Amino acid sequence: MKLGVFVNDYKSTVETVDRLTAEKLGIIFIQNGVFHATIKDNGKASPILDKSANFYALSEDLATRGLTNTDVDSRVKVVTYSDVVDLIFNDYEKLIWV
Amino acid sequence: MSNVKLAFLIQRPPYKSETATLGITHAISYQVVEMLLEDGQNVIPTVCMVGEGVLNCLKDQKAMENYGVMSIESHIKNGLLVDLDILVCKEDLARFGISEDRIADAEDMGADKKLQIVPYAEIQKVMESSNHLLVF
Repeated sequence: MKLGVFVNDYKSTVETVDRLTAEKLGIIFIQNGVFHATIKDNGKASPILDKSANFYALSEDLATRGLTNTDVDSRVKVVTYSDVVDLIFNDYEKLIWV
Repeated sequence: MSNVKLAFLIQRPPYKSETATLGITHAISYQVVEMLLEDGQNVIPTVCMVGEGVLNCLKDQKAMENYGVMSIESHIKNGLLVDLDILVCKEDLARFGISEDRIADAEDMGADKKLQIVPYAEIQKVMESSNHLLVF
């Protein structure tokens, strides 16, 4: 299964995402999910980033929150709305929101 | 006659819900509440950003450009313009690795007040001394 996961919240989503497995897993941080890609809690990056997955963060949602590309963890690719549409149509068979 | 102290504790991050915005706008609207008080009595509001609530305080938020809504940064600036005391928990800023230079201010709008970065112990004192504690 090629699974794309939209993560749109910060703290409450970690356990759910941690249980997900897929042949190809893409995690797309949007809305407050972008804090997973940027904020280090007590110096530690979000545990979600330890998963074996492709990570993306929506540039518009980063900018809305006063965050820049330099805040983003090196494992995460910054994408635009248009890139997300491409991911939806070209890269993943199933998409879920958590 | 003693004044009424209100402490607005904001613990939720920005935008996914209206919670943080509501906390700030409620605090700004304290002047309307004064109409309901006895003569000579005042409301003294204090906003306290704690936990993930400190994430509301980042500057250069582009909410109008991307969402078409007023940014929480603008709400904070408006609060400072009406001389609202807005305290930001120092330990939580450090926990999330946010330096003071990333924090919003309303200097460009001519506000005298600034966000006050304080230890949690000071926020605790504000909560203890308040007549009403409102958590957002």
